[in-house]
Amino acid sequence: MMSINILNFILYSTSKGPVTLRNLLEFIFILSFSIIISRIIILYLRRYFKNKVSKDVGETTIKFLYHGSLLIVFITILPLIGLDPSGLLLAGGITGIVLGFASQNIVGNLISGVFLMIEKPIKIGDQVEINKISGYVTDIRIISTFIRTFDGLLIRIPNQQVFTTNITNTVSYPVRRFDFTIKIRYSDDADAAIWFIQDLIDKEPFALSSPPPSVYVNELGENSVNLVVRIWAPISEWYVLKTRFLWAIKKVLEENNIEVPFPQREIYLHNVPEKKPIPEKQNLNQGEQI
Amino acid sequence: MYGNYDPPFSLEKEGISISVEKIDAQWIYKRTLGTDRVEKLILEEGKLIINPVKPLNTPKEITQNLLIEFEKILLLAAGARKTIFLTFPIEIGIFISDKGNKNHQLLEVLTLSRQKFTLYGSVSNGLVCKYWKSKIYSVAPSLNPLHEGLMELTVRNTTSDWVSISKVVFSASGMKLYYDSNVFMKARMDILSKNTAETGFELYHINGRLKSYPRKNQDTWKEALEVYIRKLDFVPPTFDMRLGL
Repeated sequence: MMSINILNFILYSTSKGPVTLRNLLEFIFILSFSIIISRIIILYLRRYFKNKVSKDVGETTIKFLYHGSLLIVFITILPLIGLDPSGLLLAGGITGIVLGFASQNIVGNLISGVFLMIEKPIKIGDQVEINKISGYVTDIRIISTFIRTFDGLLIRIPNQQVFTTNITNTVSYPVRRFDFTIKIRYSDDADAAIWFIQDLIDKEPFALSSPPPSVYVNELGENSVNLVVRIWAPISEWYVLKTRFLWAIKKVLEENNIEVPFPQREIYLHNVPEKKPIPEKQNLNQGEQI
Repeated sequence: MYGNYDPPFSLEKEGISISVEKIDAQWIYKRTLGTDRVEKLILEEGKLIINPVKPLNTPKEITQNLLIEFEKILLLAAGARKTIFLTFPIEIGIFISDKGNKNHQLLEVLTLSRQKFTLYGSVSNGLVCKYWKSKIYSVAPSLNPLHEGLMELTVRNTTSDWVSISKVVFSASGMKLYYDSNVFMKARMDILSKNTAETGFELYHINGRLKSYPRKNQDTWKEALEVYIRKLDFVPPTFDMRLGL
């Protein structure tokens, strides 16, 4: 008895051979399976990116990955339905080269953006200095990074520039140090000045007890004894403390009669005895003799 | 000073002056501490509650961790379990509650304790903590409850070597204060290795008591109101001291 396998039913023939119902079902199954798997991966990626990158960047990356992976699967399984993707790949390759040359900068920025997301030297909200531009990072997108400067300007920096230049992130660590040089007179007691400054630091809550602050005589200057004050503060309080502490030191020193000296020069005056004027004639004769 | 007050009232202690007066139909809350003066307008009549709160709110809440440095280094034998008493800084929370005493609103937090912050760990991976230096007591000392609270700390060395401890760090999330005429807290520190430990707090019910503390006081203890009320409070969170003891 002849058995008819419906799955082997030939739908149509191509130059590569006949395409059966099985081939078509396999094509549909693999494509559907890929869509389901991609969507599951996308769900996980969306959760992963949720608090790590901005929504725009996260969504763009996810869409790029989703459509990119489906396109690869689609091209790979095209032979199942009798289509040869080599022509498509060749055309795509040529188009890619043309587009690549045309969009060199965009691709460079895009790749830099991806690497920035992986390396994470900066986060949204960080205080940074990139290429001599200082401010807060307001957004990190796939092509560019946005900075709000301290005076309220929005600056867009291409990611390639961000990635290849030096980045100074001032809020990366939980604490930060600031230094002052305090000049006092030679007639003032440097030990007393150090004690008053240390006492002031001790009373200041945001001047951290560890890492310990340091106050010491750093230099015997031309006009002053130079003290160095080094204080660590929590990163959130660093700027406020730095801006008010110098004046606080000045006030406490002045209250205790320790003052900042003005530049000084000691001038010694000598009485020079008057010389008798030499007669002009005699002088001339001497000149002639020479 | 701690307790509930029905306005109008005024009280003065240790340089803190607090009053609630009725002017026309409004209540005015006034507080003075040194040169610092605060005035607030209260439109509804309510009860004023003064109680100790976690020492993490003043001068600004920048951390949720408290580091207590010991005045002397503590050495503990392998497998030993000891109970010691420490002091911790106190902050005074002033709340207003409605007539039914159900909803509380924080008016302000002030402190008479020394305020200082420190870094636990290194500059690159450390943690900013509120700082306090304490003596180690073997019996509960008598303290000024407006300045210092009493912590009963059970230290357990789970290692097979002697360990030396110079500090203990706590996360505020599990911190629970109790008070009567004094302020109490009970905590534990499990030493896991020479450089690591786990710390946490032990929760009481209102009628709970501190071991080694005079039992006659236990009935008068009250659970302090918190500045921020946590919703999930079943398991007291712990703190992992991984950056040194």
